[in-house]
Amino acid sequence: MAVDQEHFVHLSRPLAPTVLGFGASSAPLTVNIQPQAVFSILDHAIRRDIRDTQSTRVIGALVGIRSEDGSEVEVRSCFAIPHTENEDQVEVDVEYQKNMLALTLKASPRETLLGWYTTSHELNSFSALIQNFFASPDTGTFPHPAVHLTISTEAGTSIETKTYISAPVAVNAERAAESCLFIEVPHKLHFTDAERAALGSVAAAQDTETRAAPIVSDIEGLTQSLETVTGLLERVGGYVSEVLDEERDGNHALGQYLMNALSLTPKVASTAIEHDFNNHIQDVLMVSYLANSIRTQIDLAQRLATAPLVAGEKEAGDKKDGEEGAGGQDGGRGGRRGGRGGRGRGGGGRSGGNREPREPRENAD
Amino acid sequence: MAEIQRDVPIKLAQVGSLVVMKIVKHCSSSFPTTATGSLVGMDSNGVLEITNAFPFPTVDVSNTDGHQNDASTLAAAAPRAKANIVYQNDMIRHLKEVNVDANNVGWYTSATMGNFVNLSFIENQYHYQRDNGKTVALVHDVSRSSQGSLSLRAFKLSTDFMAAYKEGKFTTEILQKSKLTFKDIIVEVPVVVHNSHLLTSYLHQLPALPDNPELELPTSLDDIRRDPAKIPAHPSFDALDLSIDPFLEKTCDLLLESIEAHYTDLNNHQYYQRQLTREQFKITQWQTKRKAENAARVAAKQQPLPEDDWHGLFKLPQEPSRLEGMLNARQVEQYSKQVDGFTATVTSKMFAVRGNLLPE
Repeated sequence: MAVDQEHFVHLSRPLAPTVLGFGASSAPLTVNIQPQAVFSILDHAIRRDIRDTQSTRVIGALVGIRSEDGSEVEVRSCFAIPHTENEDQVEVDVEYQKNMLALTLKASPRETLLGWYTTSHELNSFSALIQNFFASPDTGTFPHPAVHLTISTEAGTSIETKTYISAPVAVNAERAAESCLFIEVPHKLHFTDAERAALGSVAAAQDTETRAAPIVSDIEGLTQSLETVTGLLERVGGYVSEVLDEERDGNHALGQYLMNALSLTPKVASTAIEHDFNNHIQDVLMVSYLANSIRTQIDLAQRLATAPLVAGEKEAGDKKDGEEGAGGQDGGRGGRRGGRGGRGRGGGGRSGGNREPREPRENAD
Repeated sequence: MAEIQRDVPIKLAQVGSLVVMKIVKHCSSSFPTTATGSLVGMDSNGVLEITNAFPFPTVDVSNTDGHQNDASTLAAAAPRAKANIVYQNDMIRHLKEVNVDANNVGWYTSATMGNFVNLSFIENQYHYQRDNGKTVALVHDVSRSSQGSLSLRAFKLSTDFMAAYKEGKFTTEILQKSKLTFKDIIVEVPVVVHNSHLLTSYLHQLPALPDNPELELPTSLDDIRRDPAKIPAHPSFDALDLSIDPFLEKTCDLLLESIEAHYTDLNNHQYYQRQLTREQFKITQWQTKRKAENAARVAAKQQPLPEDDWHGLFKLPQEPSRLEGMLNARQVEQYSKQVDGFTATVTSKMFAVRGNLLPE
């Protein structure tokens, strides 16, 4: 599921000075963001240092992969960079960024630095300074444009993300380092299937007082889903019966849509359904029975292996062999082998010190 | 050393949603090889709060040689490797500068259909739990999460097992004395997911079920198609999917592997016992020979030879450790519990489908 994408008319992407013939396309750049990056940024925003800096925003770097022609960029993770900002100057710890980038890339070798983020929508000369730093040849993303992501984290307003790329533009040559033109590019929040389940558990906590929700077992999750679906179906059913009782006007589009949806039920002969159903139920029950019987067998084997018996542990081992010989076979043969083990035990019990050789016992065939 | 606060054992693991998302992303992107990483957080009053996580660096398989050239084995052993301990300390130091909790509280790993109970897991957890009793191992089961609800569990080793593992010997007498069974090896800790305020407000922005009773009706079919109703993340409708065979196949494969492991263990023990028997027999034979010699020497008025010399001549074989067998048993118990849970959900779904297709 995607967050609403605003409709963009992108005329051309401003090109930073590139090596001739590099093949940079001027196709618009789209940014896909993975949810864990967003969560990471929000977490960092909470942990910010509110003591000495005047600014309430934090910055960090974005890491991810870029498609071959450079027109698609996927932000996979990010890390925070300590920085201080006053009215007239800003300091970013470059050493830290280099080290942290090296550490992060060690863990995910196929990713690269993509840009940077900050937690306020304001774009000022400091942003330009940092943007130029990130787009520069040695420490930045040159020749690809650096992506700048802003997330608004003020209390009371909705949390919005915006992504930009920059083009160098300046009033005069001396101020080139701290000016640039930010151009907004479309972005999308991209969920994979695995993350949807995780998001489900995380979202379960959104309505509770303590903002915490336990991880539910499969059957409880199924119960909740079923309850929700039943609620939705009741709502639709209520609407349809109201229309039929002429309490409401019908709606053509909705009626058509419902008919299309309901006609998707398969028309299969009832004998075929019974047959398939029985087969599947039998499969499931058989595997369940098998798993439980294996568990019981192995549990028994473990207990017998360490069970204290009168004549010492060697007999316990033999008795266990006898029982285990039946593992996987039917019960009748197991009984016979158990009997043999029992008799062997009686023989060994005669004298503890004088152990007799056992005839080689063949294993379960 | 006097503890300032009482040592409260961990009763609950509170996992931040950031950690959940990071773990899910890492494990699903490196599926089916195992993925491991480290957890940081804080523990307070019996609740272990886990606030951040980072993955361990992966080694390119083509570069390594020798017998350990399986990416999964390397990743599974990663938490113990020296280079990774350095990496972990480096990362924690850097994270401290941006106000992230700087205590290591455990590690995480991925699993497929519950196959995580092996020696590597125990060794890793022992490595962490040895220094600090309040560490957990988080296990994320990738294949079961894709069927519906998230599967994230926290485990730690029981104190009895820790003591026994420190000794390093798992022979029958020791097990009989300590009464340690395979059920007591790992202890599960319940997991709770916790969100911050900012995150909660963000989650409320994501699509949710419409709660007002009256919605605007669409004007045409295209309207519906262009702007479909957004499905909320929770409760997940993926859980209503009916897929039986892949789960059963995978479970049967894993059960067969466990049975083979069990029989291998059994054969080892039988072999040991046969060796032991043979050695004992040789020893008794030698002893009777000695006794006969001594009787002859006494009759000839000579000094009898000692009868305990057999220690230097015969060596009794070592009993193989029972640890692998116990872990295997625990693994099988895990599989059967999984199958039970699956049976419950699948039978209810199947009866529901049948009831719909065959109305009585």
